[in-house]
Amino acid sequence: MPSFDFITLLWWGLPLAAAPIVIHLINLLRHRVVRWPAMEFLLASQRKYRTRILLRQLLLLLLRVLAIMGLVLLFAQPRWVTNLGSILGSSRTRHVVLLDDSYSMGEVLRTEVSPDVPPTTAMSRSCTMIERLLEELASTPGQQDFSLGRISKLTQSNDKNSPNDKNSSNSPEKESKGNRFDIYTEIITPKNVDSARVNVKKLRPSADTTQITPAIRNITPLFSGDDGSGVLWLLTDLRKTDWTMSADIAEALKPLADKGIEIHIVDTATAESDTNILQNLSRPNLVVERIEMIGGTPVANVLLPWEVTVRNYSSSPSQQVSLAIQEDLLDRPGVQIDRIPPGDSATIQFESRFQTTGRHTVQVELPADRLSLDNYRTATVEVVDEAEVLVITTTSNRNSLDDDSFYLTTALNPGTTAATGLRPRIEPPRALTTLDLNTYDSVWLLDVPRLDAAAIRALEDYARSGGGVVFFVGPNTDYKTMNNSLFRDGEGLFPVPLAGAVDLLKDQQNPNAPDITAEDHPVVAILSGRRNPFLDAVNVDRYMAVERTYQPPPDSGLRRLLSLRNNSFLAVEKPFGKGMGVAFLSTAAPTWNNWARNNPSWVVVILELERHLARLRRQYKTILIGQPIEIDLEQGIDRVDVDFLLPPENRIVHEIAAMNQDGNLVAVMNNTLEPGIYKARWQTVAGVRQEWTAAVNINPTEGNLERLPVTELPESLSGVSFLYDRADNLKPTNENRGSSSLVQPILFILLIILLCEQLLSYSVSYHRAHKKI
Amino acid sequence: MTPASKQYLPPEVLARIGRLDLRARAVVEGVLTGMHKSPYKGNSVEFLQHREYTRGDDLRRVDWKVWGRQDRFYVKEYENETNLRLFLLVDGSASMDYIPPRFDQTLGLTKYDYAATLATSLAWLGLSQGDAVGASIFDERVRTSVPARTNRSHLSSLIAGLEKPRQKHHSDFHSVLRNLAENLPRRGLVIIFSDLFGERDALYKGLQVLRQRGHDVAICHVLDDDELDFPFDGPTRFEGLELGGEISCNPRALRDGYLQAMEQFLGEVRHRSAASQCDYQLVRTSQAVDKTLVNFLSRRSKTRGRS
Repeated sequence: MPSFDFITLLWWGLPLAAAPIVIHLINLLRHRVVRWPAMEFLLASQRKYRTRILLRQLLLLLLRVLAIMGLVLLFAQPRWVTNLGSILGSSRTRHVVLLDDSYSMGEVLRTEVSPDVPPTTAMSRSCTMIERLLEELASTPGQQDFSLGRISKLTQSNDKNSPNDKNSSNSPEKESKGNRFDIYTEIITPKNVDSARVNVKKLRPSADTTQITPAIRNITPLFSGDDGSGVLWLLTDLRKTDWTMSADIAEALKPLADKGIEIHIVDTATAESDTNILQNLSRPNLVVERIEMIGGTPVANVLLPWEVTVRNYSSSPSQQVSLAIQEDLLDRPGVQIDRIPPGDSATIQFESRFQTTGRHTVQVELPADRLSLDNYRTATVEVVDEAEVLVITTTSNRNSLDDDSFYLTTALNPGTTAATGLRPRIEPPRALTTLDLNTYDSVWLLDVPRLDAAAIRALEDYARSGGGVVFFVGPNTDYKTMNNSLFRDGEGLFPVPLAGAVDLLKDQQNPNAPDITAEDHPVVAILSGRRNPFLDAVNVDRYMAVERTYQPPPDSGLRRLLSLRNNSFLAVEKPFGKGMGVAFLSTAAPTWNNWARNNPSWVVVILELERHLARLRRQYKTILIGQPIEIDLEQGIDRVDVDFLLPPENRIVHEIAAMNQDGNLVAVMNNTLEPGIYKARWQTVAGVRQEWTAAVNINPTEGNLERLPVTELPESLSGVSFLYDRADNLKPTNENRGSSSLVQPILFILLIILLCEQLLSYSVSYHRAHKKI
Repeated sequence: MTPASKQYLPPEVLARIGRLDLRARAVVEGVLTGMHKSPYKGNSVEFLQHREYTRGDDLRRVDWKVWGRQDRFYVKEYENETNLRLFLLVDGSASMDYIPPRFDQTLGLTKYDYAATLATSLAWLGLSQGDAVGASIFDERVRTSVPARTNRSHLSSLIAGLEKPRQKHHSDFHSVLRNLAENLPRRGLVIIFSDLFGERDALYKGLQVLRQRGHDVAICHVLDDDELDFPFDGPTRFEGLELGGEISCNPRALRDGYLQAMEQFLGEVRHRSAASQCDYQLVRTSQAVDKTLVNFLSRRSKTRGRS
């Protein structure tokens, strides 16, 4: 089936084929008149040669018409499509364009001199190629079915479609499938090609990553039952991260290839004209990989520590990388990372302070580079007035200078001059069973002799759900009971088995050696690494020894914070569920040691320990693009109508909360396709307005712009017959569709026609003969 | 000076001379200058026989030598007692009016003009030698006829006849030549100036009739170069001058066929003329008239010498 690269030239040029006929007719009108005497001989000659002359003239006319047609055909760049369907006479071809719209497709490949001209990206190049394809299909004979789908939409589950679609409960399954496509199935004609092009022009990179395999599986049914031929155009930037699972991609493509569908892998990220990118595989790009508040309890007017991690996807180190910081969209002084090694990441800390309670946002942003979407990252934090800490003690004289709780609560809440935001609540052990422990940042047990089973169960439940429990031992502690009820041969919350209280003997050989040493742990990191006079001043007289024979299992996660001079445990932690248990094997009060007395390092370590434990409870979940946002509501207290405000324009989407599998009332927002701040608003039954804020960020792995070498593509898709094209120089009807150019054959035929025309012209005596009577 | 070296009058120059008598004079003067003497000298007659004198015979014809030897009166008899009777037959049909397109249609020399000039020149020469010269213009029949006379003032009558307006119909040689043969009182030399386009069998029959009546017949076949060479180029519509009809064609496509037909025609005419013992000469209108006249006269003298 012939097709043409420039079909318009054909339509304009073909009428020129009538030129020889028109010239012939004009010449008939322009006859010179000669009054001739020897008509007899002329008539005789005409009678003799009439048929031959007529045939020759017609043949000559035909040759000239053919010559002009050949010339016009040459300009129109004809091609012969040799796909089987065309040969067998089928005139229907289904074209399915599968567009990789991951955010790496927004990589700037070429910038123009004029600022008014938008830069070329892999996505804009894809759109141009699709428009070219549409134009070609519009001028191709036969029925051309066209479908266009973006991978980000095709890989969504049905309930992730737009809320309007979801609310239309009567929409059939086909309509639901169709909604995943930008163009589901449309017969492309010259009349509707413009509307299709309008849809193509609207395409933008999503903020999602690429999942090619499920997208291919979703479009595969489009080719089922087709009696015509089919072409799959997979437009992708061939990022290595997307093609790591190339075996799965090949498996998904194989049924199509076996069915005879032409598969085109169209590379959109390289072109000869790209001026500001490297043609090699490595393309440097900095990505904000993580932003996290590392403090325990975010309290108003308290400095909150943050960590931000930047990854350097390149083969050379990045120096002096500046990070702009915004708190609640207001600029604040940025920070700078001195060096990020190639292929590695670097982390830097900064602090922020919020004056008010409630949800606040912090955003960090890298300088502009070729991929903008991964240059910023947002986090939210729920700032509170204060955080309660539960302190369990059995003593009644709580303000005594010998009481553990006095020193602990003083450290946790030193007073108005140094606000920590912590409010200790001192309770007896029975409170463990009467209070809701989940409302406390951490639980501290001070020299509690024993706990009943209910209290232990409450503590362990609290720890499993992310709570942190600290045990200070002392003279009242019954180590055997502790071993039996809380350690339980390693199954319990208590980290180590105790062997009873012992004195820390003096070191006769090295009397100036410090009694305690800080281990490699974040809680005591500020004290470790060098000789610390405050820590050296701590004297430990007595402590609770750990059983000598105890060897912690390798997978127990046991980790020392502090050790004694004799290498015995002083402080040790053990993960328990989502939470943690910490054993401090001496007293909090200066009974067995003097640490809490006038030693600032005591306050530092206690506050760091509290932050460390509270962080487990207040760990902010990172929500990535495409992941659902779930709002836990209280049944009977909250209304079920929830309004979600979606970035970037705070579009309101109404959702109704429903019971999940766990029996909790949950409002879910699945449409998290844009990065930014998502808000949820609802009311309680009593009419109180509630608001919840969360940050949705991109998946930083897509920022790795390293490409799959094209030479590895055949190996990656082994067993699948496909064609590799580049979007910038792809001609849709070219040899890629099994077509071949007809230019050379037509040129050859044209030369033959012109030669024949000359010979025939000569033979019909258009050239002077020298014959005289 | 030999005839070959003289400068002839080209037809283009001759065409600028409007009057036929002047054209003929220009031609004849050139011919006479070149030849020095006319082939038709004086009134010489040829001796035939003696016969006995009878009353009434002219005493000047008595052969006194015979009387001296035999004492008897015998009178000499001669074969012909008069000069040559020359009759010029000029074709005045429409086909004789052809002027090549390259010439101005008003100033060009038509085949008829050429033939009339040639005929007048011959008449001039004949009359100057004392021959009786007559002329006729014909197409389908004789349109104008001037009887043969010997006085030199007869030339003006001949010229007036040749310049008369013509009907320009098609030629009918048979009826014309038969009519001529019947009406000519004595045998003589009949010279036909024509392109011979017409019924060919009729032409041959007419020539036969003339020959049967004892006339000496000469044919000046006057044709234009275009008719012989067919040099036309480009889209052309040919409209028949005499026969009617038209052909729109590329002339080059028909040239070969035309030239073949023309060649066949000329060969046939030449052959049939020879068969009828008619003197035939093809004359191109591009050829100088005086040269044609010289050629004709020398050809005639050779032919008479042979016979």
